[in-house]
Amino acid sequence: MIKITDLEKFYRTEEVETIALNKLSIDVKKGEFVAIMGPSGCGKSTLLNILGMLDDPDGGSYMFNSVEVAHFNERKRADLRKHNIGFVFQSFNLIDELTVFENVELPLIYTGVPSSERVKRVEEVLDKMQIMHRRNHYPQQLSGGQQQRVAIARAVVNKPKLILADEPTGNLDSSNGNDVMELLTDLNEHGTTIIMVTHSEHDARYSHRIIRLLDGQTVMENIMI
Amino acid sequence: MIRNYIKIAFRNLWRHRSFSLINIIGLAVGMTAFLLILMYVSFELSYDKYHTNADQVYRLNVDIKSANDVLKFSSSSAPMGPAIKADFPEVLESARIFPYGMVVKVNNQLFQENRIYITEPSIFNVFTFPMIKGDPKTSLKDPYTVVLTETTARKYFGSADPMGKTLLLDGKTPVAVTGVVKDVPNNSQFKFDILYSVSSLEKQNPGRLEQWGDFDNFTFLLLSKEANAAQLQSKFPAFLKKHISESDRKGGEDYALYLKPLKDAYMDPRGGFEQGSMSNVYIFSIVALFILLIAAINFINLTTARATERAKEVGVRKVIGAARSQLTMQFLGESVILCLIAFVFAVLLVSLLLPMFNQLSGKIISENIFENGYVFASLFISLLIGIAAGAYPALALSGFKPVVVLKGRFNSSAKGALLRKGLVVFQFTISIILIVGTIIVYNQLNFMRNQPLGFEKNQMLKLDFGGDDGVIKSFEAIKNEFKEIPNVLAATVSHGIPGAGNANAHSEMENRQGAMQPLNINMYDVDYDFIPIYGMKVIAGRTFSKDFGTDSTKAIVINEATAKILGYASPNDAIGKKFSQWGRDGKIIGVVKDFHYRSLQQNVEPLNMRVNPSNVRLLTLKIASKDIPATIAAIENKWKVLIPNRPFNYSFVDENFNKQYSNEEHFGKLFMYFAVLAIFISCLGLLGLASYSTLQRTREIGIRKVLGASIPGIVNMLSKEFLQLVFIAALIAFPLAWYGMHTWLQDFAYKSSMAWWIFAIAGILAFMIAIVTVSFQAIRAALANPVKSLRSE
Repeated sequence: MIKITDLEKFYRTEEVETIALNKLSIDVKKGEFVAIMGPSGCGKSTLLNILGMLDDPDGGSYMFNSVEVAHFNERKRADLRKHNIGFVFQSFNLIDELTVFENVELPLIYTGVPSSERVKRVEEVLDKMQIMHRRNHYPQQLSGGQQQRVAIARAVVNKPKLILADEPTGNLDSSNGNDVMELLTDLNEHGTTIIMVTHSEHDARYSHRIIRLLDGQTVMENIMI
Repeated sequence: MIRNYIKIAFRNLWRHRSFSLINIIGLAVGMTAFLLILMYVSFELSYDKYHTNADQVYRLNVDIKSANDVLKFSSSSAPMGPAIKADFPEVLESARIFPYGMVVKVNNQLFQENRIYITEPSIFNVFTFPMIKGDPKTSLKDPYTVVLTETTARKYFGSADPMGKTLLLDGKTPVAVTGVVKDVPNNSQFKFDILYSVSSLEKQNPGRLEQWGDFDNFTFLLLSKEANAAQLQSKFPAFLKKHISESDRKGGEDYALYLKPLKDAYMDPRGGFEQGSMSNVYIFSIVALFILLIAAINFINLTTARATERAKEVGVRKVIGAARSQLTMQFLGESVILCLIAFVFAVLLVSLLLPMFNQLSGKIISENIFENGYVFASLFISLLIGIAAGAYPALALSGFKPVVVLKGRFNSSAKGALLRKGLVVFQFTISIILIVGTIIVYNQLNFMRNQPLGFEKNQMLKLDFGGDDGVIKSFEAIKNEFKEIPNVLAATVSHGIPGAGNANAHSEMENRQGAMQPLNINMYDVDYDFIPIYGMKVIAGRTFSKDFGTDSTKAIVINEATAKILGYASPNDAIGKKFSQWGRDGKIIGVVKDFHYRSLQQNVEPLNMRVNPSNVRLLTLKIASKDIPATIAAIENKWKVLIPNRPFNYSFVDENFNKQYSNEEHFGKLFMYFAVLAIFISCLGLLGLASYSTLQRTREIGIRKVLGASIPGIVNMLSKEFLQLVFIAALIAFPLAWYGMHTWLQDFAYKSSMAWWIFAIAGILAFMIAIVTVSFQAIRAALANPVKSLRSE
C-alpha cells in the first residue's frame, strides 16, 4: 500500500540545516499495523506528516497505492487525503465550536456525503465507539478518553484505508490508553492499515511490526508475533 | 455545508463575544456614518433633478464687464427671457422669477412672507410644480393673482377652500388666489410659498419689464430635446448686439450670457436661490470613505490578530479534508454575517439619528432611510465590506499549513503584525487629520466671529418695516417715538445694514487721473444718523450732516477700498472728487475706514453711502445692555401702534451678521462629529488589538513578573508598542492636515493662522485617547497573577 524510497526532508533555519529524514525507505502492506518508535527528534512525526500528505518531502519517492504522490499539489493531496486517510492526534484536535456529532460529521461534509447518509454513518460510528450518549456535548465537556474516542470516530467515519496515529495515548491514563489501543486493533482486524507513532513500548506491542528510527534512518525493525 | 458554515459562524461570534461586539459596534458605527453621509451627498447632488424636463432647462447667467471688474450674476434682466424665446426656435419656453418679500394680510392677520416669486404661467411648463387646484395655463395669467403652496394655503385658510379668496399684499394690493400647488420638495432650490403673477408688476409699474439693464430676476429657459446649449450660447453675442444698443450699455459696459444647466445651478458658485458646495460634497464623501475604511480595518486587524486562536481549527479541518477554497468560503461567510449584523444595527442607528442629522445639517435630507433605495445601497455596501474586509483574513487563515499549526509551532507572522501596525497607523493618521481639521474649522469660525468688524454690532436691534410708505413719510418722527423708550439710545433708518445684503449701483467716480471711472459699487441708502450710530470711523472728510443742504442730494461717503480703487494714495485725496450715480451728481465728502459689511470670507470691496431716506426699509435701534427683554417688549408695543400693518420682526445685528457663517457652522459641527466617530472606531480597534496582543504575551508577562518586573514597567512595555504607532501617525497626519486645511482656508479672505498649538492639541488628544485605551488592557494584564498565566501554558 505504501512504499517510500530514499525519502529526504531537511529543515533549514538561517544558520543550520537539520536532516529530519535521511534517505529513508519503508514498505507498509495493506492491512498491516506498524508502530514507529524512536527518541525525540528522530524524524517520526516528520515521516507521519509526509505519509499523511500534510508535508512534502525534499527528495525520494512516495508511492501510495502504486501512485507517485511525492509531488502532488495541495489540492490533489487534500483530495487524496480526505478519501483515504484518517488522523488521530495525541492532543485530539477536536474543534471546540462543534459538538461531538458535528465533529465526526465534518469529514463526511467535506467529501460531499448527503445529509441523511451522514446522520446514519455518524450514529453508527459513535455507537461503535460507545460515545453515542455524548453526541450533543462539546469537546470541553468530555474527558480525555472520551475526546480521543470522538477523534478516532472522526478518523474512521469516512472508512479510510489508512489511519495515521500520532501518539494516540500520549495524553491519556493507562486505562483509557488501553481502550484506545483496543479500538485501533479492532479497526486493524477489520482491514484498516494503521501506522502509529509512539513512545510507549506497551502500545507498540499491539502492532505487527515496529520500525525504530534514529536521525532520520531506520535502525531496526522488529516483527511482532 | 452552508448550514455548517453559518452554524459555526454564529457559534464563533457568540464564543468570542467581546471580539464580535467590538467588530459589530465598529462596523455599525462606521456604516451609520457612511450611510448618513451617503444620504447627505446624494441629497445635495439631487437638487432639482426631479423636474420632468430637468435635462432641458437652463438658467441664464450674465457677466457684466466694466473697466475695472467683471460681475458674475446668476440673475438676468426682464426682457431677456421673452426675447430669447422669440429669437431662437430651439427655446421652447422662458420663465422669469423675481424673488420678493412682502407682508401678507389674511383675515386681519399679518404674515411676513419672504419667499414670494413673481413669475409667469410658463413656470409650470419649465418646472414640475404639480397643481392641486387651478389651471396651470391660466392661474398666473391675470394681474393680481396668486398661487399658493399647500402649506401656505393651510396656514392662511385652514381646511377651507382657498380658491377665489383674497389676500392683501403690502397693505395695499388685493390679490385673488387662483391655484394651489404641491409643496416644493426639499431638494429644490425653488422654495417658495407664493407665486404672484408677473403681469401685476407690469400693471403697477409700466415699463418695468422692458429694462435691459436691471439684473434683478432669474430667467430659466426650456430648450427643445434636440437643442445644443453650447451652440445656442454661441449665438448670444449677436443677440445682445441686436437688442442692446451701444448707448444703452451704461458707460461702455459689456454683457455676456451663459447657459447654466438647471441640474448644476445649485452647485454654481455664482449663487442663486440656494447654494450648495461641491467641495463640501467632496470633503464629506472622502470622510465617509475613510470612516468606512477605518471600520473595515478594525475587522481585518482583529481577525488576523486572532489567527493564532483559529489556526488549530484550520489545521484540523484541512487534515480532515477541507480544501483551501472551502475554508476561504467559510471565513468569508463569517465576515459577511458579521457585516450583515452590523448592517441591521446601522439601519436602526440611522433611523434613530436621522432627525438629529437633519437638524445638524440644517435641512431635511431625508425623513426615512427606507426611501430612495438607501437601504439597498447600504445592504450592498455591507456585503461588499464583508467580502473586501474578510478576503485578506480568509486567505491568510485558509493558507495555514496544518503541520505547522497542529504542532503548536505557529506564531502570527511578522508580516501580518507589520500589516496590522501599518493599518493602525493609517487609522490614526485619518483620525488625527480629522481632529486637526475640526480644530481649524472652529478656530476659523471663532476668528470670524470675534474679528473686529469696523462697526458697532452689539446691542443693535434690526427691525424690518419693508419700506413701508407710512414709515418713510415720517421716519424722523417715528425714530423719535422709539427713542423715547428709556433704553433705546439711538435710531437710524437705511436700506442695507452690514451682513444683510445691499444694492449694487452702476456709478462713475473721478479717479486720480481726473477721469470719470465707471464702477459697479456696493451702496447703502442711509439717513444722517447711520454712520455715527453704527460707529463707523471717518478717516477723511466728514460724515453726512443736516447743516449742509446738499448732503441729501449731492454727496456720498465712500469706504477706503473705493478710494484705493480710484487710485488715491491717501483717503484725503478723494475728498471733493466728483461722482455720478443713479441720477445724482455731486462730490465725495468723506471716507470711512473699511468695515466688514459681508462675511469675512470676502474682501472688503468698494462701497458708498448716500442719504436717501425715501428708499429705506430697515430700522436699527441701539439699545442699552440692561433689561433687554423689557426694552424689546416696549419696542414691540410701540411698533404695533406706529407701524400696525407690518409684523414685528427683530433680530440683533451681530447675530444676523454671524448667520452668514451658518454654512461653516454646520460644516464644523458635522466635521467634529465625524472626527469623534473616526477616533471612536479607531480606538475600538486599538482596544481589540491591545487585548489580543496582551493575551498572546500572557506567558511572557508571567515570566517577567516572576523575574521581578514591576507593574508600571509591564504597562509601559505593553503600551509603548501602540503609542509608537500613534506617534508615527501624527508625523504623517500633520503635513497632510496642514495642506488640506491650508487649501480649505483659501476660501476665506480673512483667515486665522494655523498655529502650532492646534497640531500639538490634536497630537496630545490622540495620544491620550490611545493611552487610555491601551493601558486599560495593559494594566489588567500586568496585575494578573503570574502563576495562572504560567500554568495555563
